[in-house]
Amino acid sequence: MSRFLPRLAAVAALLALPAAADAAEPIPVGLVAALSGQSAVSGEAITRGLSVAIDEINAAGGVLGRPLVLVRRDDESNPGKGVAAARELIYRDHVAALFGGIDTPVSIALVPLANKEKMPFMGVWAAGTGITRNGASPNFVFRVSAVDALVDQRLLRYAATIAKAQHPGLMLINNPWGESNHKGLDAAAKAAGMSLAGAESFEVGDADMIPQLTRLKGAGADAIILVGNAAPAAVVIRSLDRMGWSVPVISHWGISGGRFPELAGPSAEKVAFVQTYSFFKPTPKGEQVLAALEKAYPAIKGPQDVIAPVGTANAYDAMHLLALAIAKAGSTDGPAIQAALEALPPYDGLIKRYAPAFTATNHDALGADDYIMVHFAGGRIVPVE
Amino acid sequence: MLLGASVVSGLAIGAMYGLLALGYHVTWVVSRSVNFAQGSVMMLGAVLAFALTVGVGWPMAAALPVALAGCAAFGVVLERVAVRPFRARGSDSWLMATVAAGMLVENAALFLFGKEPRGMPSALATEPLTLFGVGVLPLQIVILLAGIGLALAFVAATRGTPYGKALLAVVQNPRAAQLMGIDAARVTVFAYALSSALAGLAGILIAPLYSVSADMGFVFGIKGFAAAILGGLENPWGVVLAGLLLGLAEALTTAFAGSAATVMASFGLVILALYLRPHGLFGRAGVRKV
Amino acid sequence: MARAWRAPVGALLLALAAGALAFRLDSYQAFVLGEVGVTAIIGIGLNVLIGLSGQMSIGHVAFQAVGAYAVALVTSAGPALFWPALVLGTLLAALIGGLLALPAVRLSGPYLAMITIAAAFVIEHAIIAWKGLTGGASGIANVAEMPLPWPFQGGASAQALAVVILGIAAALFAAYAWFRASPTGLALVAVRGSETAAASIGLDPVRLKCLAFALSAGLAGLAGGLFAPLAGFISPETFPLSASILYVLAVMMGGAGATLGPLYGALVVVVLPELLAGLAEYRLLFVGGLLLIVLLIAPDGIAGTLDRGWRRWRRAPACQPPAPPLDLAAFLGHQAAARPGAPALEAAGLGIAFGGLRAVENLSFIAAAGEVTALIGPNGAGKSTALNLLSGFYRADRGSIRLAGRLVADPAARHLARSGLARGFQTVLLFDALSAAENVLVALHGSGERSRGAAERAMQLLRCAGFEGDPTAPAAGLAQRERRQVEIARALALRPRVLLLDEPAAGLTAAERAPLGTLIRSIAAAGVAVVLVEHDLKLVMGLSDHVVVLDQGRVIAQGAPEAVQANPAVRAAYLGAAAAPAVERPPAAASGAETMLNVVGLTAGYGAAAVVRDVSFDVRAGEMLAILGANGAGKSTLLSAIVGLKRPQTGSVELAGATLSGLSAAAIAARGLVLVPEGRQVFPELSVLDNLRLGAFARRAWPEDAELERVFARFPRLRERARQRAGLLSGGEQQMLAIARGLLARPRVLLLDEPSLGLAPQVAERLFADLAQLAAEGLTTVLVDQMASLALAVADRGIVLENGRIVRSGRAAALAADAALAAAYLGGAAPGGGALVL
Repeated sequence: MSRFLPRLAAVAALLALPAAADAAEPIPVGLVAALSGQSAVSGEAITRGLSVAIDEINAAGGVLGRPLVLVRRDDESNPGKGVAAARELIYRDHVAALFGGIDTPVSIALVPLANKEKMPFMGVWAAGTGITRNGASPNFVFRVSAVDALVDQRLLRYAATIAKAQHPGLMLINNPWGESNHKGLDAAAKAAGMSLAGAESFEVGDADMIPQLTRLKGAGADAIILVGNAAPAAVVIRSLDRMGWSVPVISHWGISGGRFPELAGPSAEKVAFVQTYSFFKPTPKGEQVLAALEKAYPAIKGPQDVIAPVGTANAYDAMHLLALAIAKAGSTDGPAIQAALEALPPYDGLIKRYAPAFTATNHDALGADDYIMVHFAGGRIVPVE
Repeated sequence: MLLGASVVSGLAIGAMYGLLALGYHVTWVVSRSVNFAQGSVMMLGAVLAFALTVGVGWPMAAALPVALAGCAAFGVVLERVAVRPFRARGSDSWLMATVAAGMLVENAALFLFGKEPRGMPSALATEPLTLFGVGVLPLQIVILLAGIGLALAFVAATRGTPYGKALLAVVQNPRAAQLMGIDAARVTVFAYALSSALAGLAGILIAPLYSVSADMGFVFGIKGFAAAILGGLENPWGVVLAGLLLGLAEALTTAFAGSAATVMASFGLVILALYLRPHGLFGRAGVRKV
Repeated sequence: MARAWRAPVGALLLALAAGALAFRLDSYQAFVLGEVGVTAIIGIGLNVLIGLSGQMSIGHVAFQAVGAYAVALVTSAGPALFWPALVLGTLLAALIGGLLALPAVRLSGPYLAMITIAAAFVIEHAIIAWKGLTGGASGIANVAEMPLPWPFQGGASAQALAVVILGIAAALFAAYAWFRASPTGLALVAVRGSETAAASIGLDPVRLKCLAFALSAGLAGLAGGLFAPLAGFISPETFPLSASILYVLAVMMGGAGATLGPLYGALVVVVLPELLAGLAEYRLLFVGGLLLIVLLIAPDGIAGTLDRGWRRWRRAPACQPPAPPLDLAAFLGHQAAARPGAPALEAAGLGIAFGGLRAVENLSFIAAAGEVTALIGPNGAGKSTALNLLSGFYRADRGSIRLAGRLVADPAARHLARSGLARGFQTVLLFDALSAAENVLVALHGSGERSRGAAERAMQLLRCAGFEGDPTAPAAGLAQRERRQVEIARALALRPRVLLLDEPAAGLTAAERAPLGTLIRSIAAAGVAVVLVEHDLKLVMGLSDHVVVLDQGRVIAQGAPEAVQANPAVRAAYLGAAAAPAVERPPAAASGAETMLNVVGLTAGYGAAAVVRDVSFDVRAGEMLAILGANGAGKSTLLSAIVGLKRPQTGSVELAGATLSGLSAAAIAARGLVLVPEGRQVFPELSVLDNLRLGAFARRAWPEDAELERVFARFPRLRERARQRAGLLSGGEQQMLAIARGLLARPRVLLLDEPSLGLAPQVAERLFADLAQLAAEGLTTVLVDQMASLALAVADRGIVLENGRIVRSGRAAALAADAALAAAYLGGAAPGGGALVL
């Protein structure tokens, strides 16, 4: 039954398509994300989430009687390219709203543009705190994703309660994302009354992290808080193995994309990390979205094949929230949508029940309580008990 | 402990730089040109080995020679397409042409291999040994030995065999070399094949310590080149030694000043060294008589 | 000069068109257009570096970052500060570039590339590390908008910004075209073409290269400053090293050196990927492939290819009105200052040694103003070395030089050039990338003439030197005669008191030599002291006032031409001591002996000109054949063609009955036909021992100690030096080494090209005795040597070449007595009795 409905919806969509095209011009929504390069998987995951949501919305008659259509542009993980791509979407394709990708630097670069052009900008992955908390008023930037500042609180809380660590050391990638979390972790530690053993940074190209880890060990670290993408994070784990240092590792979600277990070896399973959603957690909505994914992407045979699930889940909910806002605003005008997003009614999403998603002062739909801690187990991402 | 760990990892990475640098050295002494796609060839070696072992399921012993042969073949093609036409014209454009060839290989790999970094399994990179209180992977020792061993072998070959001498003779006086029965064109092709095989070997050796991806070679290629320049392109010992030195300097900077300073320190060292010794630390000015 | 203005006018029109277009574009397209402008500006800077000064930088993105950060940081205090900030960023980048250039200009090729890469990394990471100032890796998110100038005030739109940037780019294109033609621009191209020739006209390569580096870094900084408000966001990641590579690619694709090259390049690297946006991930694959193809098929880039098409379409260049003839004496302005006959150049006891060889010893002579002084002597006598000493390219170990009566304190070439000493080179050294007129112009600038009249003056000088070709065509394409004329005109542009000419008649036909003589006389008549090194003795004797004869680095005679001609020592030096070592050996060429080397109808040369025509001869086993002839008769070319170094146009060579056609030189050597080339062709960085061992490589063997021992017994000096680098040997020792190396190949036929060159007489005699000995042992030998009497004394037979043809052949003894031989050697009509005409 649960699989029948979406199929029916899809068939309906197919039948409805020509009619819809006749009925009204489509509403374009834009995505600026990494579609090539090392983070290309993230862009693909976001695209899948957005596409499944758009298919559902269009099957149900679209928004304002018009179908939605997704226009994608590659930012190559480069802020300059991202800004250029966003301009193209805004000025040439006249999108109603923009979605962002995995790279915090790109999103940070897009924020001034979005606010200047009064273009609703929906972050679905990049967790940099300053993206939504950017000081602009009115603020056109919203997010359905983790927020570094809150993730950092969650990571330290996990370290203190589950890993029983009082003196964690930080391993941070040397880029804006790492910097953002450095600030966040410092603040979170202060708030929690913990003292940090130290903070070390590493480069994407480093093939060996033993020096940094050795310094943390020397400083008495009793847990490692890890912020970095899969490849360098794997080097951290293997360096720990080589040192023979068995220490709890608690990671931001950078390791969820990519093939972390393959890269890091058996110790990968010991790493606890944060997610906003897991497809292994069966809910009716989850089953429904998974079924739609399996139908649209034949390579997906089950939850283990959903690459980078957070991107897909966040994008799916963000798309629906945006569609609600457009419907509520009654137009594709930027300021109207912005106002509508700040005053949405409660909505039952994939990740949680949003009640409501955003307020005038909080543009982050997900909070610290919405994160789940997970780990890899036999190629699956499963919640940590 | 910190010092010991840094020295071990610095030397292992340094040996890798040394292998790449040796590759730069080989083509330089023979043809006064270098392959700026060396980093991409390194990646090619790793990708081929990965595809053959993980993809096809061959044992490493079979995959290694095939992957190296693949790299060498690429070197031959590269010399033919991106180096020889320009050297024949007396143009320096081989520099940019090899860069372009590197771009091609890297992007082709992106398609054929995929965008995600992959992990290369290796029995030598799972269980660390403890040496002097420091955890060391057997592979790290293998890398160090391979780097130094190959440099030794290369020096021995060039110093002690007619073919090695012939290699060195070509660039010093191509005309006279021809008159000694040395085929300069063939020697150059050979040098490119050898250089590419060395880079491929570096890629295969480093892959289990790190990861296999289409862009893994870029930074390594540049650092290997830095080692070659630091050591003085002319001197096979020099370039390997400079590789070890560079690796060591990086590891020690990371250990004692933090990784933010590493790149500045290592490349600052390169600038300073070239300022003081324009022919590299271990290079010497050529014999010059007008 | 029409050519120089075409480019900037084109650029301006293009910018206007682009500007008009910009307001019709949406703001994304305008942004892309702005990026084209930024990339073009960086390209113009790189064009100064790569195209003009011939250096390479793969780190220019760092200078762009410096400019961008300067603007972003300063304007955060107020957008009105934009223009001062832009200047600041430009200067800062130029300063850093200039500092970096200090070590960089001493380096070349990959070393230079490395230092620029290293600098880019250091600057990038310094920006990341200096968080307090630069915002670290997070960058600067909200760069202030550019306050737009007059027509665009009020509301900065992307379109207006693009127009401003393109306007600046267009102005810079015009500035580049102006700079390229300016004295400094020409000097940069000159230094790139030949540092030696540049020094000979007084240019300072280090200063010029530093300047080029600073200039190009400054332009990258300027581009960065414009880029910051265009992008609105900058971070270290905005300026990746790969962008540097892309900039270099843009310049190379566009056409390095061409004014509009960077524009074409920028369009390709910025707009093409936009057009290919649909290909998304295939883009870089496409760009990489395109680049390789452009480099391969269009080495001059897009601009060069367009230019060639343009020239073909335009046909012949417009005829220029001839410049009025130049009064050389008035131009030089020496006559009042220096009385004819007053000493202009005085050499006193000059000496220099290379390794152990005393190339020039105790050289003293006076060259007087208004006179032609000739420096003559056999090959290897030290004539060119003497010229290099006099012109400051070699530093003398002993002795002094006076110029116009004053002692030269710092005899560096560059300083001497500025004190009135000009020179030409044996192989003409022109700045090939410059036109004939610019070659002269750059020297005129050097001598202080920078006025508008300079261009016309250059034309006049060219005409004065007899140049009648196209003065605007690149010098690279000129004929030998024209090249010589341009070189002389360039030297005259320095207003020299002393003019040194090194074999000016080399490569000229007999008909071309007479006007050269007239020219040289007229230069002397204008008050210049001309010092001439020349092999054509007929020419020398005809026009010199004073002749200095060198042999083995020493002056053996000097005086008036007639006096020198009568000197017996001179004659001996030229033909070699007639008293050859009498080596008794049975004539091996008994009839019936196998023919080892058979040359049939060989014609070979350079380009279309045949240097060797239809030469046929054979050599039998155990025979020694001497090939004789004057300089330039084609002897060396003949040998090169036989051993495959030069592909013969027609004819064939057989070794012991097997044809060698189509074989490479290496393969021919491996078959046992071994040439010991002229001019000490050793492997300088290898030890003497290794050089010897490589001799055996031809037969893929490694010589045994006993064999080496035999060689050392023959050349004891080599034993002493066995472990030294061959490059450190003296000329004579290198010659021995080359011969010994040839012997170790155990050749079936040994060809020797000028083996006695640079050897002391007793060593040469010893060598010939050895050759005779080897021949007696059955070695088949072909010998080319200028010491004709020595060669004929040991050879069985001889052939005489003149202008590439065999004019005489026969038994050695018969040839030795032949008067025609002296004639062929010394280039004069030979009166009977073998009297030497000098």
